[in-house]
Amino acid sequence: MGWFSSAETDGVKKTSGGAFASPSRTNRAKCYEARDAFFECLDRNSILDSINSKDGRAATAKACGDSDLVFEKNCAHSWVEYFKKQRVVNYKKELTIKKIEAEGGEVNMIPPQLPIGKKA
Amino acid sequence: MSNCIAGATSRALKAAPPALRATAVQTSVRRTRTFASTCQNSTTSRIAAGRGAQSVRQWQGRGRGVEEMGGGEQNRMFSSSAPRGKLTTIEQIRSRNKGGPFNLTAAILFVGASGGLYVYFTTEKARMARKRIAEQTKGVGKPKVGGPFDLVDHEGKKFTNEDLLGKYALVYFGFSHCPDICPDELDKMALMYDKVREKCGTDVIVPLMVTCDPARDNPAVLKEYLKEFHPHIVGLTGTYENIKQTCKEYRVYFSTPEHVKPGQDYLVDHSIYFYLMDPEGDFVEAIGRNFTADQAAKVISDHISDWDKPLKKEQRWA
Repeated sequence: MGWFSSAETDGVKKTSGGAFASPSRTNRAKCYEARDAFFECLDRNSILDSINSKDGRAATAKACGDSDLVFEKNCAHSWVEYFKKQRVVNYKKELTIKKIEAEGGEVNMIPPQLPIGKKA
Repeated sequence: MSNCIAGATSRALKAAPPALRATAVQTSVRRTRTFASTCQNSTTSRIAAGRGAQSVRQWQGRGRGVEEMGGGEQNRMFSSSAPRGKLTTIEQIRSRNKGGPFNLTAAILFVGASGGLYVYFTTEKARMARKRIAEQTKGVGKPKVGGPFDLVDHEGKKFTNEDLLGKYALVYFGFSHCPDICPDELDKMALMYDKVREKCGTDVIVPLMVTCDPARDNPAVLKEYLKEFHPHIVGLTGTYENIKQTCKEYRVYFSTPEHVKPGQDYLVDHSIYFYLMDPEGDFVEAIGRNFTADQAAKVISDHISDWDKPLKKEQRWA
């Protein structure tokens, strides 16, 4: 299982298939943190797509290989793929919204509401 | 009685600009009938119909006289009846009522009444709209969303649709290995639930999460997972077939593979709506992601307060 097995000592606890052993709030928070760090690195290197294209994957491995590894260690593998793809989708969505707004349309988006004090 | 109409005419004439006054007098005969009838409608409605007709005839006579006399005489005729300075009793009353029906009491009454009516009609309109939504699924035949199910709760106990009767239910479909949307929505659900309880009482609504991923989400996993959101959320799981049937009844799409290996890593694509079900198990409304917790709580508590007494809320929820 390559470095997945080492992830058990380093990152979050995972199953042999690469899923979270327990997708608890703390594990999610760790994963989100690693994701944000990885995306920040992509932003710095102006990489949008780190998964769908061969060039994107190569550029990511070169520029952000380390944070990508941390990302993989702290998240379920399916989540990593999901977030990487979501980054591209979200970017396209933003572009579309900007385009609609530039044409005089209106888009109503409500950000998800999170509780202020998180329960233990 | 003739005074009423004559007075009304003179007032109307005085109000008109001087240039218009002459033409008004010249055409008065032709317009007499209509003018008199308007007066009758507006100012002399108190006068009985017969007497009103009589007064019109009288006025017509006067009008003819006016035309013979010419415009110059006209003013004197009207003003001579009540010269300024010497106030008759009628004039005193008239000056007291100069403001007409517009005084402070009337203004307050008017604003109060129109404000009250506005509030009444808007709330009633909103209530009717909600009632229409709630009753769309009532009546003959099977409800369009929801239905009987046979699942297991997070304590490992059997849980069916019967367990929900007598309370509102907020049903959400998700899975514990959901990356971002479900946790956000479950946090929102906890907020909504607390707000509704605050408004409508502690025992009117049950929050439910039905897993779309029964292979991984056994009762123990659900219990561990859901207590982080709200200790009251009931997690439901079951066999793949039972989950599939429940999802079908609730018109929920989900993409869970049927046969998964232990430890396999996959995501489930599924519909993300909260389904509000009434105490009889009928679908009321679906609440999407675009609602904030406050908006959703308002929608829910409004529906709950619409649930009226003939359905014996107090007895059923005792």
